[in-house]
Order: sequence, then C-alpha cells, then structure tokens
Amino acid sequence: MPQPLTSLPKGSKAKIVGIAAGRGLTYRLMQMGLTPGAEVEIVENSSGPLLILVRGVTVALGRGMAGKILAEPT
Amino acid sequence: MSLDKSKTHEVVVAVIGNPNVGKSTLFNVLTGEIAHVANWPGVTVARKEGVRDYMGVRIRFVDLPGVYGLSASSLEEVVSREYVVSGEPDLIVVLADSTTPERTLYLPIQLLELTPNVILVFTKVDEMSRLGIHIHFDRLESILGIPVIPTSATQGLGIRDLLNKIVEFAGGRRFRGDAVKLDYSGLEPFIAEVSEILKSSKAVSNYPIRWVAMRLLEGDLRIEELLNSAGESYILREVQRVREAIRRSVGRDPSELFISTRFNYVHSIVREVVVRVERSRGIEASFEKLLQRPITGPLISVLILFTALLAVFSVNTGFPLTTMLSYFGLDELAGFIETYSLNGLLGMMFSLLADLVSENLSSVNPLITSLIADGIVVGVGAVLSFLPLILMMFTFLAVLEDSGIAPRLAISFHNVLSKFGFSGRAIYPLIVSVGCNVPGVLASRTAIEDEERLEVIAATPFIPCQARLVVVMALVTAFFKSPIAQAMAVASIYLVGIAMFLLTGILIRSVAFKKAEPPELILEVPAIHRPNLKVVWWISWDYTKHFLKKAGIIILSLSVIIWLMLNLGPTGFVVDAELSYGGILSRAITPTLTPFDIVGEDAWKVAFALLHGFIAKEAVLESIALLHGGVSVADALQSLGLSTTQAYSLLLFTTLYVPCLATVATIYQEIRNIKVVLAQITYMIVAAYVIALTAYLILKAAGL
Repeated sequence: MPQPLTSLPKGSKAKIVGIAAGRGLTYRLMQMGLTPGAEVEIVENSSGPLLILVRGVTVALGRGMAGKILAEPT
Repeated sequence: MSLDKSKTHEVVVAVIGNPNVGKSTLFNVLTGEIAHVANWPGVTVARKEGVRDYMGVRIRFVDLPGVYGLSASSLEEVVSREYVVSGEPDLIVVLADSTTPERTLYLPIQLLELTPNVILVFTKVDEMSRLGIHIHFDRLESILGIPVIPTSATQGLGIRDLLNKIVEFAGGRRFRGDAVKLDYSGLEPFIAEVSEILKSSKAVSNYPIRWVAMRLLEGDLRIEELLNSAGESYILREVQRVREAIRRSVGRDPSELFISTRFNYVHSIVREVVVRVERSRGIEASFEKLLQRPITGPLISVLILFTALLAVFSVNTGFPLTTMLSYFGLDELAGFIETYSLNGLLGMMFSLLADLVSENLSSVNPLITSLIADGIVVGVGAVLSFLPLILMMFTFLAVLEDSGIAPRLAISFHNVLSKFGFSGRAIYPLIVSVGCNVPGVLASRTAIEDEERLEVIAATPFIPCQARLVVVMALVTAFFKSPIAQAMAVASIYLVGIAMFLLTGILIRSVAFKKAEPPELILEVPAIHRPNLKVVWWISWDYTKHFLKKAGIIILSLSVIIWLMLNLGPTGFVVDAELSYGGILSRAITPTLTPFDIVGEDAWKVAFALLHGFIAKEAVLESIALLHGGVSVADALQSLGLSTTQAYSLLLFTTLYVPCLATVATIYQEIRNIKVVLAQITYMIVAAYVIALTAYLILKAAGL
C-alpha cells in the first residue's frame, strides 16, 4: 500500500510511487531526483522537516510537501 | 555554432551546474579576479563573466545560474536555457558533483540532448575519495563521447586539463557529432509525430526539432509562448491532442516519463562507472548525526549562532565583552577594548581625516572644505565603516555554507519560522542582519519563492544591527544607571526588533500576498566537512566587493545630498545647521515629537538628529554632539533634558525606522522598484512611530 513519506518510520526504505502536488512543485521535486521508481531512505522523521536520502543526496522536505509524496515501503 | 574567422581567437564558454555543485569556486579559479558582474537582461538573476587568456586563445567564461534542469520552470532555468540555445556560447562546460554523481549527472544528460558541444567537469574530487567514492572517468568519457575532467578547484586539480580541452575545441576539434538521443521507448512514436508537425514551424527553428518535440510533450510555457506569438498555435492544438493520446495509452503525465527515463539512464551509467565503499567519516559523521536529531539539532544550532555572533560583536564594538568587564570592575580594560574595537578604530581614523581636511583647506573656501570634510569624508567613512563588518558577517555565512552547517540551521528553525510565514531558510538573513542589514537583504536571495524573498527584504531592516547597537549603548549608558536596567533595555530592543521581523513576515504573506500556507522547504543537505579557507575567502570577498561597488556609489551620492540639505539654506551656505534646509525641515517635523512630550527650544535638535540618522545610525549621536558644539556624546545627550522614558521611546524609534542609506540602497538594488522601496520606508517609519509612542504612553501611565 502506498503511503505518504511522513508516515514512514526513520530508517525505513521505500520506492516513490507518485507525487500529488501542483505541477511546478512536482517538476521541481522530480528534477531533484524524486521520480516515481526512485528509492528513498528516511533519515529523520520527527516533528520537523523530513530528511530523506534519494539518489545519493540527503534532501530536507517540509512536512506539508513530504505528505504529498506517496511511496511503497520496500 | 560554427567558428568564423573573427572568432578563432576568442571562444565563449558557458558554465552551468546544479546549486551547491561548486560552480562559483571553479569559476573563481578559472577567471581569477577579473570577473564582471551584471544582471541578465530584464531579471535580477546575476550574470558573471570572466576572461582568461590561455595558449593564445581568449576564453570568455559566462557563469549561468545554478539550476537542476532546463525545463524553464523557474527564472534561472529560463535564463540558462535561452543562453545555451542563443548561439552565443560556443561550448558548454557542465558541472557534476563527484560526491553525488547519481543526482548531478541529470543536468549534463539534459544538456547533451540539446547540444553535442559539451565538456563534463566533475567537481570536488578531493572530497570524493574521502567519502569512499570512485568514478571511472575514462569509461564515462567513452560512454558519453565528450571530455570528462575531474577537478578540485581548491587544490587546483584538473584546471589545466579543462583549459587545454577548451583550446582544442577553439582550434576546431569536435568531441561528438550530434546531440545524445535517449530511447524513450513508449514515447518514441509520439515524439516522432510531434517532430513531423514541427517541421512546418518557423518560430522554433533555432532549437533542435526532436528536443522541441520533447519539451512540448513535457509542457513548456516558454516554447508554447514562442509558437503562439508566431501565429503557430495550430501546432499547440496538435501537441495537446498527442499529449491526451499519451495519457490515454500510458496512463501517465508525459513529463514524468521523460524525467524518469533520463534518471534511469543516469542510473545505468552510474552503475557502470561509480563504485561506493563504506568509509567511516569519524567525528564529522557524529557531528552530522547530532545536528540532525530533533532536540540536539536546534540546541547546537542556537549555540553555534550565539557564539559566533558574540565573537563578531566583540571584535566590532567591544560589546558585550566590555559590559561584562565593567561589571567585574575592570573599566580600564573595557575602555581599552572599546577604543581598539573596529568601530572605535575606524571612527578615530575618519575623524582624524576630517580634521586634517578642515585644517589644511580651511583657508581655501569654507564651502568646499565643509563639502569634503563633512560630506565626502563622512560618506566614504560610512561606506568603509561597514566594510569590516560586512566582510566578517559574510565570512561567518561562508563558513556556515561551506561546512554544510547552514542547511541544518534552516531545518532546525523551520518549524518556528513557518508559523510566521517564512521557511527555515529565513534564518540566514535574520542572523546576518544582527551584524549588518545589508548582507541580510542580500541573503534574501536564498528564498525559493518570490513572495518569501520580498517578505525577507521587508522584514530584515527591523533587526537591530551593529551600528544601531552603538547608538543603543550610548543612550542606554547615558540614561539608565544600574547595569541590570541597562542590560534589560538592550535586550528589549532586540526582542522588539525580532518580533517586528516575524510580524512583518506573516503580515506581508497573509495580507499582501493572501497566502495561508507557509513557504515550503526543499533543501539539499550536503555532508558536513571542515570549511575550506580559500573557498570561504572567495565567497565572502566576492559579496563584499559587490557591496562596495553597488551600494558604495549610492551611499556616497546620497551622503552628499544630505550634506547639501544640512549646509545649504535659503540664505545660501550656512554654518549654523538651524538655518539650513535640513534645520527648517527638522522644525517642520518637530510637532510629531509633541506626543512624546518632547517640546520646547531643543525639540528640533532631536528631530534633526533623527533626520540625520537616515544616513547611518551613528549619525544620530554625531549630530547631537555637533549641535552642542563638539562636547562629548554623553554630555550632549544629558543636555537635551530628556527623561528616561523619553530616551527609551526615542531609542525604540531610532532602532526601528529605516536602518541606513546603505540598506535602502541595497533594497533598491534587489527589487528595482522605487514604489515598493518608498512603501517600505513609509511602513518602517509608521511602525517605528506607533511602537515608540505606545511604549512611551504605557511607561508614562505606569509612572516610570
């Protein structure tokens, strides 16, 4: 079952399924490597922005935006 | 992109790369100090150019803004792409970060789909091996068919190789014949269909057809606009039909498929040429973990900021070191530190210079003497006295940036700041402004969206800077007796300033832009490492130079205008400030001080000082002393006969209304809209007045 990134625990890995954001934001995220099919690892997920590792780069995402990214846990 | 005869000895090279890829560092090494900075036509995106003569070839490097792709989804991307296809650059140097090849090879692939004349440069190879990454550059060279050059700008590695390749190119050598053609499998028939339609188009003839076809399928406002304005909107209707067909048959947005395919291609290359071995990074990795944890992260962040600011403060004005020393009875030492702080030294230097001019020129002409001594020397002094501070603040910022600490600060403060309409990134301008508002305004450039950028520019000048601290200290020590009351007064000024910063953010976001959501945070977080001193120097000196050139001219000319106001009156040149236009203006605005019970013969002097403070806040003190015939600032303040309550509200007003000419000049440089700048000045004056008056009335009612 695909879930928003915000509901994945720290240390877990997942595969991005889709991004449910506006066109501009989606584009921006995809160009940073968050494309469907990309593997992500949750580095930090507490009350602040989410930290994820994607394509060898650590990226910080505000929780609002991270909640719009759907991923399938692997 | 053919070479004609006139161009054989000059080659134009565009340098492009992701943000954080190390582009400015490489650019610095390639071009040295001879960089020319301007804006791209019509936008505030900076365009940097530098020339390098190498083996008889003049290489003109043009620095393109940092971008992730060429989709034209942001101003930077439009600027970069338009330049690449303009035909002006002969060759493109594209940068990839050797510590993150999986992500940064995306842009080179996109570029290669557009033009074959590309050199791929890997940056930061010195860091790569430390992180346990190995890249087979030769193998990559044969896969892509273009030169691949590993470099380290800080160690000077690979720079010659790069220059040699550029010279070879200038001599007529071509690396590959045509653009890279990726296989978009399911999309290929659609690309072919659109390419066929495009053959009849004239509007986009300087772009490769296949590339335009792909861009149109992805959705590209800029190219759609080109077609529309050329009366070729029938093509767009056809494209729309094809896009729908893709959605029906594949079930996905074409842009998603294009980006995924490119990343998959990058992934397949990386699998072949990159090897990663686990390597323990010791203390840096542990520090990184601490900074990322929920509680320790913000805590350490605050601690780093606090220590750094304390150091900068102490070097600049001596405060708070001096206050602590006096508290322990070491007044002499405190006085010594204050005299030899940067602020003290520069002040002494310029008053000496002004005296020297007045003494030696006084026989010539009092008008010219005064213009030089009180106008130009004071103006140059104002520019130069900011310089060490600005350099220090930029150095501090550069250390945070280059070490990788900066993005972590933004993450730590994001939750708090997002309640006030900012993203965590606004923490940089906030911190820097405590030193000086000028770099604070410049730091607004880190904002992702334009709305947040304007919020930051509007909010930044409320933060009390070091110049205002000087005024605050003088007034506070003159009017408050106990050290505790002094400390509380200073702290309250900072609290009000920061509160105004935050309130301005939320006000502008919700009222002016009508946005309920705080700005989003998308931030790359590089690995923590020890900052490289060379890089730190390059970044900070670059910014400082920029400030000197741009703001310097404006500050200087405005200083002269203000001198004219203070020394010219209806009767011509006047020595007595009271008779000058400035004095007359001061008298006119004196009634605004009546609610503060500042009335009587000396009231206009207060207005005069505040008017003078528009140049720079130190001028408030200088002009009060001046009006009292050169007595010490403390005595002059006392002789104004203000009550503690009046002095405190005056202090609030001084801190909050328009920081200084330099900041106003910089704000204008950044937004280039005189109406917005005037609106901001009005807003600051009104806000300062309302707050100061409220404070006065409350304190008066409380019987203080």
